[in-house]
Amino acid sequence: MIATQPYLEVTVAGLAQGAVFGLLALGLVLIYRTTGVLNFGHWAIGLMGITVYIGLTSVGTPVLFAVLITMATCAVIGVLAYRFVFRHIPRSNQIIVILIAFGVAQLLSALAEMALGFKAQVTMPGWLPAFAVHFGGATLKSSDIFTFLFAIGLGLGFLVWFRVSRTGRALRAVAQNREAALLAGIDDVKYSSIAWAIGAALAAIAILLIIPHKATASGGTYQGYINTFDLTPLGVLLIPAFGAALVGGLVNMPAALAGGFAFGLAENLRVLAPVPWNKLTYTIPALMIVILLLVRTERLFTTQQEREALEGA
Amino acid sequence: MSAEPIAPALEPASTEEVPQFETPSVTPPVEWRLPVSRTQLLGLAGLGLIALLPLLVQASGGSIFWFYAGAYALIYAMIGLSVVVVTGYSGMISLMPYSFAGIGAMVTGLAMASWGWPFWLCVPLAALATVPVAVIVGAISVRLKGLYLAIATLAVAAMLGETFFSYTPVLGGNAGWTLSRPVPFIGDRSFYLLCLIAALLLVVMAEGLRTSKLGRAMLAVRDNEREAQALGINVMQTKMASFVIGGMMAGVGGAFLALLLQNVGGLGGTVFTSPQTDATSIALVTLVVLGGIDRAWGAFFGGLVFVLTNQVFQGAQFFFAFVGLYSAVLLIVFLMFRPGGLLQIGKLQIELIKERPMFGSIVAFGILGLNLGVAYAFLRLG
Repeated sequence: MIATQPYLEVTVAGLAQGAVFGLLALGLVLIYRTTGVLNFGHWAIGLMGITVYIGLTSVGTPVLFAVLITMATCAVIGVLAYRFVFRHIPRSNQIIVILIAFGVAQLLSALAEMALGFKAQVTMPGWLPAFAVHFGGATLKSSDIFTFLFAIGLGLGFLVWFRVSRTGRALRAVAQNREAALLAGIDDVKYSSIAWAIGAALAAIAILLIIPHKATASGGTYQGYINTFDLTPLGVLLIPAFGAALVGGLVNMPAALAGGFAFGLAENLRVLAPVPWNKLTYTIPALMIVILLLVRTERLFTTQQEREALEGA
Repeated sequence: MSAEPIAPALEPASTEEVPQFETPSVTPPVEWRLPVSRTQLLGLAGLGLIALLPLLVQASGGSIFWFYAGAYALIYAMIGLSVVVVTGYSGMISLMPYSFAGIGAMVTGLAMASWGWPFWLCVPLAALATVPVAVIVGAISVRLKGLYLAIATLAVAAMLGETFFSYTPVLGGNAGWTLSRPVPFIGDRSFYLLCLIAALLLVVMAEGLRTSKLGRAMLAVRDNEREAQALGINVMQTKMASFVIGGMMAGVGGAFLALLLQNVGGLGGTVFTSPQTDATSIALVTLVVLGGIDRAWGAFFGGLVFVLTNQVFQGAQFFFAFVGLYSAVLLIVFLMFRPGGLLQIGKLQIELIKERPMFGSIVAFGILGLNLGVAYAFLRLG
């Protein structure tokens, strides 16, 4: 009989990571639908969040308070990025939009490097409560469980809000038909800014759920670190996040949230695979992405009119 | 009374003078012209400057390292030329030029170290080795456009970086392959000259491609795919061809990169694993765009800046971050207002100087002085 403990542990870790990917994908989809920008610099907004979080906790701010301030700061960064840069680019030229997103990512990461200094390890304290969870012989990380619950709550809450609230409806109107929304008196720039703010805040909280809880410090509490020489580990978080967003064809949010779990589970369950296969961190998500792209999932979720609105205009 | 001719127009003499059109001369008036255009001349002058720069640096007491850095820049320019072909000419965004270079480098290592091939045969082999991957990506590019293609190439690069480039049992074991340069080009200085010749050849090819039938088809596809199709251009073939040509150029760059570093593969040599390869590709693409994406010059600018930030100022960390910040701001501002990059800025500046010499010169010197001043200030601070 196969032991169930490793499966349980890996599944919980996968669900937690999947929830994080789902939150990143939600932000990506929200921004893409409303403003037509696929934000290749999403990870850098999260990095700015980490920078702010490290700065705040190092001067003794309570961690939960620091998380809230970080989210607010990232929302402001998102709005600034939209107002000063992305608003002025015609969305028909996707090459320019993508390259500018890279430029924004480079700008933010250079700022973060300047603020944090060049160190192989910049440590930060975790903010989720830490205790051992024993369940059916498996030892689970409490941060994983909290991350999963928190992200699910946040994601579902956001989706409900997006469905029923006035702002959410306005956002959907801008996404579906920009010109009709403008005629109906919806301020395009205002709601695009709101979309960027929410997307950036989601990126910040997603990164803050995963990075500060990577390791366990001496006192049994969580601790995280980043290497400011090499920020690529943060950047590659975007690959599964893109994959999750592609499950919803870059436009459907519930599907993006669900897609996050698919990618999180795939990335964690591979650990149990036989030897040459269990090292394929990126290959499995990348293969899934190529397949999703070729299937063209956006056909399932959009009308022809909406697709044209996203690609052109 | 003499009879006057009533109708002089009827005289046979007048019919002989029916309007004589000036026959157009078949050969235009002989006028001495340069075989190259002025832009190309400027580009050549720039190249000559790049070629001489390490010599000048060494003459003023610099070390041999500058030749190494110069060769590095030229090799990155070769890889950057593939960006020019794929993104600049054909308008498809590919985030995997460095992966193609990696294939070239690995094949060169395999052929030279394991099979004992001479380097001269390895270069075409490295170019050919990239073709299968280029064809696959090209086939994907027919179906996907814009940002979808960007994601797909990023995914393919990540996949290659973790499977092919990480498979050490084939790629030279743990130590990687140690390669030695071919005989007259062993030193850094002579190897630099070899790289210069190779880069020049590739530039001639890239510029020639631009004016060829295929190149014009690429430009048409870039500007409007449907119109190009309506004009009878085979869009699929053109896209495939541009990926194959771009991949081959990057593969040649990779072969030279392997020989410059003299140790590729394994764990110790130059490796092309994810995610660092993806980051390098993205940085290269952005820098080539900053230089000017649709001419060969952009690739040289990209290679130069890339090597300056990653090799020369590697130790100066604050400066490194500053260069990142500065080039990011430049990239954003350029793409927003002058999508043609530095090349376009230069052209506009030259026009301004022609029209209003005084004002134009002041602006030019102002920009130059501002840049130098900022760089100096940050060097002092860092």
